[in-house]
Amino acid sequence: MSGSNIYKPEMMEITDIVQETSDTKTFRLKFKNESTAKSFSFKAGQFGEYGVFGEGESTFCIASSPTRSEYIECSFKQIGKVTTALTRLRVGDSVGFRGPYGNYFPVEEMKGKNVVFIAGGIGLAPVRCVIWNTLDLRNDFKDVTIIYGARSFNDLVYKRELKEWKERKDIKTVVTVDPGGEVPDWDGEIGFVPAIVEKVAPKAENTVAIVCGPPIMIKFTIPVLQKLGFAEENIITTLENRMKCGLGKCGRCNVGNVYVCKDGPVFTYAQMKELPQEY
Amino acid sequence: MEEKIISLDNLSFFVNDLIKDNHIVIGQDSKEINWKRITGAKDIVVNSKNIPSNISYKEFVFAKTEPIIYYKNKKDEFDIVEPALPRQKLVFLGAKPCDARSIEIMSKVFNWDYKDKFFNERAEGSIVIGVACNYQDKFCFCTSVGLSPVTEKGSDLFLVPLDEKNFALQIVTERGKEFIQPYQKYLSDGNQAKSKEILSKIKNPEKRFETSKVSEWLTNNFEHKIFDNVGDICVGCGQCAFACPVCHCFDIVDEECDYSSGRRMKNWDACQFGLFTLHGSGHNPRETQGKRYRQRIAHKFKYYQDKFDEVLCTGCGRCSRGCPVGIDIAEVVAEINSLA
Repeated sequence: MSGSNIYKPEMMEITDIVQETSDTKTFRLKFKNESTAKSFSFKAGQFGEYGVFGEGESTFCIASSPTRSEYIECSFKQIGKVTTALTRLRVGDSVGFRGPYGNYFPVEEMKGKNVVFIAGGIGLAPVRCVIWNTLDLRNDFKDVTIIYGARSFNDLVYKRELKEWKERKDIKTVVTVDPGGEVPDWDGEIGFVPAIVEKVAPKAENTVAIVCGPPIMIKFTIPVLQKLGFAEENIITTLENRMKCGLGKCGRCNVGNVYVCKDGPVFTYAQMKELPQEY
Repeated sequence: MEEKIISLDNLSFFVNDLIKDNHIVIGQDSKEINWKRITGAKDIVVNSKNIPSNISYKEFVFAKTEPIIYYKNKKDEFDIVEPALPRQKLVFLGAKPCDARSIEIMSKVFNWDYKDKFFNERAEGSIVIGVACNYQDKFCFCTSVGLSPVTEKGSDLFLVPLDEKNFALQIVTERGKEFIQPYQKYLSDGNQAKSKEILSKIKNPEKRFETSKVSEWLTNNFEHKIFDNVGDICVGCGQCAFACPVCHCFDIVDEECDYSSGRRMKNWDACQFGLFTLHGSGHNPRETQGKRYRQRIAHKFKYYQDKFDEVLCTGCGRCSRGCPVGIDIAEVVAEINSLA
């Protein structure tokens, strides 16, 4: 019953770093141990504990797609002790990783349906994972729409990919910034995400909506989706809470009797509605 | 249930033998504060009239602080060294019914899906020698959470004081039976009628609430002023969690680290601390002491029950006895019961 040490990280090497915004970076990571690299697999929406020795561990989603299995990527904002330590690392440095943890987006059930991705700010990270998962299996899905917004142009993450998605003919991509957040040659939308959703979202029939972003965005986007006719089961979002173990033990990420780290982080709006308002 | 008699003298010999046979015997200290490793018969404190020690013995299976990994940095290549966990044969001697089930209850969270070997290596194979409890104060409420001063639940062997010099020894579990086998010479034949009579005379603490009623009320009353009322008094010191036999929340932090080496620790934590759930963004889903107190009550009397079919409380009353501002958990839950 005892078995292995569930708190022991695997060592990964940083193979690429993208500075997404002034305070947000994306790391591409590869396992140092080859047999770990071979046996590792995850599903879209799962997360991990990323650690810097001497500083501690932080929880981020895996922002890359499981269809691209030779590496994982994570995006994080420099905000505390661990993320500051991570920010200082360079290509070739080591990061500890534990995972994958938690549940995942129902990608299999989404096949044969239309999908609309709605993200705000750094909330694009978990959505990006399932976006690439969908695009890498493009023929399995019907219409794909991406709606992404941030406070300002400078706060938009994955700019290179936003451009790539916009250029693709087989998907519809709408990027917006909050009023006042645009730059002179801005060619996207100006307005808050919920308003843009109302304007460009596909019809609700046979469509799944994946919504991630700041709580305030989610709060105002869900009524819009409901107005458009989306059933509560077809609105899928993620919760995040402070975590230490990621394994359903340390006792801090629960919302009511649900552990975000094990029963989540992916929840349908129907499930979320049942939870006490404590997130 | 098989029952034997063991005299106080023989209990001493028995404990001495256990120590010789490499068991680690954990008993309550004579000051009724803590539990410690017993080094000889002189340390034995088995008295049904004792107050529950200030702190439970959970630290012997769920350490207050312990390393989960060590790291060494060799030219930017990290070596991770796992701490050695010697297989210990733990014996808890003189556990009151409000302590005896603690390992069993915590084992559920440490083993659903992922298994925590730091807990399991110590907890698995541990033997609980319980003792009937003949102590009672206004903080005791074991009968409200499905236990009683005389229950053998959670014990492998259960002692009932017959007189000043003798205990009845009830053999409760198969493990207990196996464990006691080599030490038969210290046991003589028992008389169940006598121990039964003694147990029947022990007074039960008054039943203060129905856990099923409380759990249901908590489901329907997430927002209620009772939590804020207690939160206004609570100073958030976390004493309640640290004294509790079944509170199991922990933190993971890197300590004593420098460039070349360091260690990652698992430390006791408490849901009453303001930083417990604070997000990096500054958002805190439990930003007030009232919300943190609600978490404490709901975790114990609803969430853990929903998830693991156990009340996360043994009614020992330690949290209330030790509370610096006089919050009595049984009083709070009894009030909830009266609202339900």
